[in-house]
Amino acid sequence: MKVSRNWLQNYFKQPLPDAAELDHALTFHAFEIEEVEEKGTDSIIDVKILANRAADCLSHRGVAKEFSAILNIPLKEDPFRKELPTYPVSSLLTVSVDDPTLCDRYIGAVIENVKVGPSPVWLREALENVGQRSINNVVDATNYVMLDLGQPLHAFDADKLSKKDDRWHITVRAGKEGEKITTLSNEERTLSPENLLITDGKTDAVLGIAGVKGGKMAEVTESTTSIILEAAHFNYASVRKTAQKLRLPTDASKRFENNIAPFTAGFGMHAAIALILEIAGGRCEGIVDTNSAVPPVRKVSVDRQKINGHLGTMLSKEHIADALLRLGLPYIENDETYTVTVPFERVDLTIPEDLVEEVGRIVGYESVTATPIPPITSPVSINKRFYYAQKIRQALIALGFDEVMTYAMQEKGVVEIANPIASDKAFLRSSLQKGMVAALQINSANAPLLGKDSVLLFEIGSVFADAEETVHMALISGARKKPAALLDAAMAAIETAIGTTVELVLTEEAYREFNLDALIAKLTEPTTYETFSVVTDGNKYKTINPYPFALRDIAFWAPETTNSESISAIIKETAGPFLVRLDQFDEFKKGGRVSYAFHLVFQSPTKTLGDQEITGAMNAVTAALQKAGFEVR
Amino acid sequence: MGHIHPLSRVIGEINEIFRKMGFSYVEGPEVETEFYNFDALNIPGDHPARDMWDTFWLKPENSRKLLRTHTSPVQVRYLEQHQNEPVRIIAPGKVYRHEATDATHEAQFYQLEGLAIGPDITLAHLKGTLEQFFKEFYGRPLEVRFRPSYFPFTEPSVEVDVKHVSSRGEKWLEVMGAGMVHPKVLEAAGFDSTKWQGFAFGTGIERLAMIKYEIDDVRVFHNGDLRFVNQF
Repeated sequence: MKVSRNWLQNYFKQPLPDAAELDHALTFHAFEIEEVEEKGTDSIIDVKILANRAADCLSHRGVAKEFSAILNIPLKEDPFRKELPTYPVSSLLTVSVDDPTLCDRYIGAVIENVKVGPSPVWLREALENVGQRSINNVVDATNYVMLDLGQPLHAFDADKLSKKDDRWHITVRAGKEGEKITTLSNEERTLSPENLLITDGKTDAVLGIAGVKGGKMAEVTESTTSIILEAAHFNYASVRKTAQKLRLPTDASKRFENNIAPFTAGFGMHAAIALILEIAGGRCEGIVDTNSAVPPVRKVSVDRQKINGHLGTMLSKEHIADALLRLGLPYIENDETYTVTVPFERVDLTIPEDLVEEVGRIVGYESVTATPIPPITSPVSINKRFYYAQKIRQALIALGFDEVMTYAMQEKGVVEIANPIASDKAFLRSSLQKGMVAALQINSANAPLLGKDSVLLFEIGSVFADAEETVHMALISGARKKPAALLDAAMAAIETAIGTTVELVLTEEAYREFNLDALIAKLTEPTTYETFSVVTDGNKYKTINPYPFALRDIAFWAPETTNSESISAIIKETAGPFLVRLDQFDEFKKGGRVSYAFHLVFQSPTKTLGDQEITGAMNAVTAALQKAGFEVR
Repeated sequence: MGHIHPLSRVIGEINEIFRKMGFSYVEGPEVETEFYNFDALNIPGDHPARDMWDTFWLKPENSRKLLRTHTSPVQVRYLEQHQNEPVRIIAPGKVYRHEATDATHEAQFYQLEGLAIGPDITLAHLKGTLEQFFKEFYGRPLEVRFRPSYFPFTEPSVEVDVKHVSSRGEKWLEVMGAGMVHPKVLEAAGFDSTKWQGFAFGTGIERLAMIKYEIDDVRVFHNGDLRFVNQF
């Protein structure tokens, strides 16, 4: 939520610290900050209000209260702690609610003789600074109160409703299948009984989607003279579902779906009436409130021992008292047990652990000192599958196999995904084969770059067939000559490593797959992990070069006395900056001479190399080798 | 000599570091039920908290089966099997999130979760455990700090940052979510929350590896490309 520093300042007598300090304060004691933006003389702080505080903190009042607690500066006054005036009961409006479980409070106010027009500059700026559009003074007032106190409100042009017995009627009811609405933003939606609606009680016309968005029909415009103002409380699950299904997420729906306290509506209404009368004139004729009951007092208790016992701290009674005081949480302390009377808007405080968090975050988590975890008395259990998988991995890499991990979501399979991210990823794999074959293809194409003659891969991963999810293992060979031989050797190595035979579920000339879970079930329980020497770190990953590589071979005769290191050196020195790999692939003696053959791989990090550049490099290498007295073939 | 996948290697390292602190490596199914993935973790169906995890659901939809979005269900299952006993486990495993793929997001990735329950395991023990882990995993002591956060299954909840020093300078990086296990989660698994308490943490293993090896694109982990695997 975008919060304006100037707006927050309204809540405090003393000047607030600058945006950087406000950022720091919230970050370490309440919420993450997305961004801070300077807008003229104002600073706009985009705060990520946590889901459990959306009921009371999606408002400047809520955030101001947080600053009050964190920075320990009192609010000038808290609007939620003021006594509300009573309004006369309206004789121009009746409200009926079909299902009170979907709307447990509806306040409607009638304001006559308003002059709808542009908003005063301060209001326009306040709204625009936090990313809202100014519409007109009445609509702006409702948005302002929502962003100030967190209570969504809506204004209807009263004369767009039809009177019955000289009264306007609002009915809060479920939609009818196929009913339609055009919203204030000209979006058309088809409604259903799942959607709660605000309707004209006389004509049954749809005025708005409850808690979500108003309809164009009763839009407040410059020709409006009487308004019906709504401040209500709608069922959080119903609003969430409606906003999602109709694809209409709004500032209002966000607040209702997080279960803002119903008692907030009275404060929101009072503030909105006062602001509208101030900037648009008019007179409040009266209100209708279907439920003005004061909520029952809620108390939550926590001991000092529990606070310190959970946080691992040694906070004193003073620390705790100070935190609760700053947070505006009235309490009674009795023998180190703190019984807090929970303010109505703090719907998130329900259990003692919630208070542990309140104290912890206000005091600050830097007061939690790292403590080593105590030793455990029962022995660590060895993960059998991991143990044997590691043994198999070691056996396979010794034979030149590389491990890959491929995608579980594929085009075909047995288990289907209801909401896939792509149509070719709508099933869970029932075998590892598809992924392995694809991996073999891309890696075989890159074999020269990898310095490999043949690519040998293995994978260990879950496969899914109906009710069964099992871990399989697969091996694939890219060797052109006798791929099966290598795979047979690999299977033999596996069997030696684990001490039993392996039953294959899939065999092809260049592919083997077996059920690792079934295999492991046959093996003995390990008692301790084996340690394998790991290639030393200091690895810093190099971003994979996206440009194509070129492969060239060179073969030549050299005297028997030459060694391949000096030959490699000659080639590396003269092949130029784009030589990325040099691998010797052949060597044989004949007639007092040695024949050498090398693969040279060229690649540029910034472009595709042209034939000329590569040919030029090869010519340089050839010349150098000839100069050294070698006969290039 | 061939190469094991860097994630297998990292999981091996993680297992060894936590084993020394008494943690056992536990696993569970990738196809889970709504109950174990959400309800048992204090994430009810109609609650906006569900929106924190973009979920892959399986057909038929009324089976309420999904691809797990975290390895927390493994912990719940374990708690149920070890009611009112001390618990110390790590649960690395593959998880799935319905997210658009880009350099920092993949639909399938590996998560690491940890859980320690005892008569008096505290948030201070969490800090100590994580400091020890990062020190060994990154090869040098790293500063760890907590910031307030929210998860339905922990209370208090924190974000964990580590101070990372690289060729590009010094920066605080968010690496984990963590907190004290919510009493509702303990009770749902059959624990007496007045006698047992402890911490839980969760992080992405690819993320840990990306920080350690300065890898700039998460997609290399699961696309089968040896130009990545063979660098390790």
